[in-house]
Amino acid sequence: MTALHATSGLLALDHVTVMLGKRQFGPFTLSIRPGEQVAILGPSGAGKSTLLKLLARELNPATGQAHFDQRLLTDWSLAELSRRRAILPQSHEVAFGLPVDLVIGLGRVARAHDPYLNSIVQQAAAHACAAHLLERRFDTLSGGEKARVQMARVFAQLWDVEQGLLLVDEPLAALDPGLQFELMDAICSFASKRGHSILAILHDINQALQGFERLILIKHGTLVGDYQTSHVTLPLLEALYEVRLASAMTEEGEMIVAPSLKQQMLSNSCLDY
Amino acid sequence: MTSFISQSSRTTSTVWGLPQWFASKPAWLLSLILIAGVWAAATMGAVPVTWQDWLAVLKNSDEPLSGGAYVLWHLRLPRILFAVLIGAALALSGALAQGLFRNPLADPGLLGVTSGAACAAALTIVLLASSGIEVPAALRYWLLPATAFCGAVTVCFILDSVARWLTADSIAGLLLTGIALNALAAAVIGLCTYLATDEQLRTLSFWTLGSLAGANWALAGVLLITLVLALWALRQLTHAMNALALGEAAAAHVGVNVRALRMRVIMLVAVLCGFAVAWCGMIGFIGLVAPHIVRLLVGPDQRRLAPLAMLVGAILLLLADTAARTVAIPAEIPVGIFTALLGAPFFLVLLARMRKGV
Repeated sequence: MTALHATSGLLALDHVTVMLGKRQFGPFTLSIRPGEQVAILGPSGAGKSTLLKLLARELNPATGQAHFDQRLLTDWSLAELSRRRAILPQSHEVAFGLPVDLVIGLGRVARAHDPYLNSIVQQAAAHACAAHLLERRFDTLSGGEKARVQMARVFAQLWDVEQGLLLVDEPLAALDPGLQFELMDAICSFASKRGHSILAILHDINQALQGFERLILIKHGTLVGDYQTSHVTLPLLEALYEVRLASAMTEEGEMIVAPSLKQQMLSNSCLDY
Repeated sequence: MTSFISQSSRTTSTVWGLPQWFASKPAWLLSLILIAGVWAAATMGAVPVTWQDWLAVLKNSDEPLSGGAYVLWHLRLPRILFAVLIGAALALSGALAQGLFRNPLADPGLLGVTSGAACAAALTIVLLASSGIEVPAALRYWLLPATAFCGAVTVCFILDSVARWLTADSIAGLLLTGIALNALAAAVIGLCTYLATDEQLRTLSFWTLGSLAGANWALAGVLLITLVLALWALRQLTHAMNALALGEAAAAHVGVNVRALRMRVIMLVAVLCGFAVAWCGMIGFIGLVAPHIVRLLVGPDQRRLAPLAMLVGAILLLLADTAARTVAIPAEIPVGIFTALLGAPFFLVLLARMRKGV
């Protein structure tokens, strides 16, 4: 495993552990450079969401230090932090059926003075393919439309910022494949235009292999791998998910994987990290 | 950094302020209805009030008022102002509680906040009397709101912690907790009734039914100042409360200090309920009905919901109180009975609509 030493970067974790009840997660040591697009992969319950919650400051480190832009994560005020990093959540519910334009504008609620609010809301909605939804009420939208509006809210939050951080928690899992790719594309182009880093939890291995330059592998509550996507091999992924995978190459030379039809559980000792 | 913004469509940011919501049509309409309601309420009653009486009151001469003018100035106008202010306070506390618990059914009355306040006030009356401590009458006005506030705050914190360990956004759990708290408060009030002397009993039954008969200019003035302060405190909170609709985690992600916000909103709800209950008893359903009507009129944006709900609450309680004191002249029906008679069916209709997902 190629552990990066976490001292600098936009986001840096140095031997950080989190306690969730009696269960310990970590230690996590990793560093994200500005503009980097990183996917987090791992089986269910491995601790991916816990890591993301740690980075989102929903959970505080039990030990170790987490830095965001050279400053301790806990030293940032919530309002300051909200102007540099945004989180696209897994669930999309909004109470009271707020109007869509208000929901998108809420991404910028922490800004005391925001003269361009309306124009940013319009542009963010357009970028998330949600411009036609602006007049609607949120609770009348379909699942896919809700996902677009939440994405527009996140875009609005980091619209006029550079070198921010976008944390994404598998928001597209319930959507059809076409929409998944369209929205993932919108996220990536939004981020790369502004130099934002992306850290995304993904369940779709192929999405990670094709859209992201670096993969972080998590299992049993801890970091088990940190690779450039081009260095990820089939056995690594098989060991991660403990499932037999088959692979194929696309015309562009990217690997596509799928669970093998001849299913057979691999034991943990099969591959040692 | 503005390179990502097209400069052409610069607009002013939507900071909530008086000019903005008064510019809207519903605000004007509701204000007109309220003014008409005040005039009608002043005219109606056991003693007829003519326009000469209005003139006598407005002239502000030194000679003592008589007849209709006396009734208008010393009885009816303070009571009307009181009804308007209490209605506004109840509606605002309802709007705030609903925003806090992210649910349109979260009314302070149904959740047990008002009965918690009444319970604390009842305990104060009975315990003080039995301990033999003599409280000056001037202090009594303040003692009851203070203890009622403590009761309301306690219930709010219990609800808040329960709402956390129940499944997120489970209104059923929240309302069931409200039932339990209501039952507990009712038991304590019942015990107080049992222990109370005849004189205390009258005061206690006044609470459980709700009445605006205790109105006077001094109380109305204090309430007015409280409401103005609450509105001022609210200015910074309303937009952050919109973010609460995204869920607590997401609200924190967009930069809202959720813990501080919850604390402030709970304090506001408790202060408003505490004052209303201490001086008028338990007047139910205004906090449920008024915000709902406003949501139908202008939508759920808290920045418009909060001030408009106050207007609607004022109108509703003024109408209810006027009906309460004129339906059976010369007798007076407690206004709490009226609001419950109208509010409870409304609540059932709301429940049915929510089930259908309308």
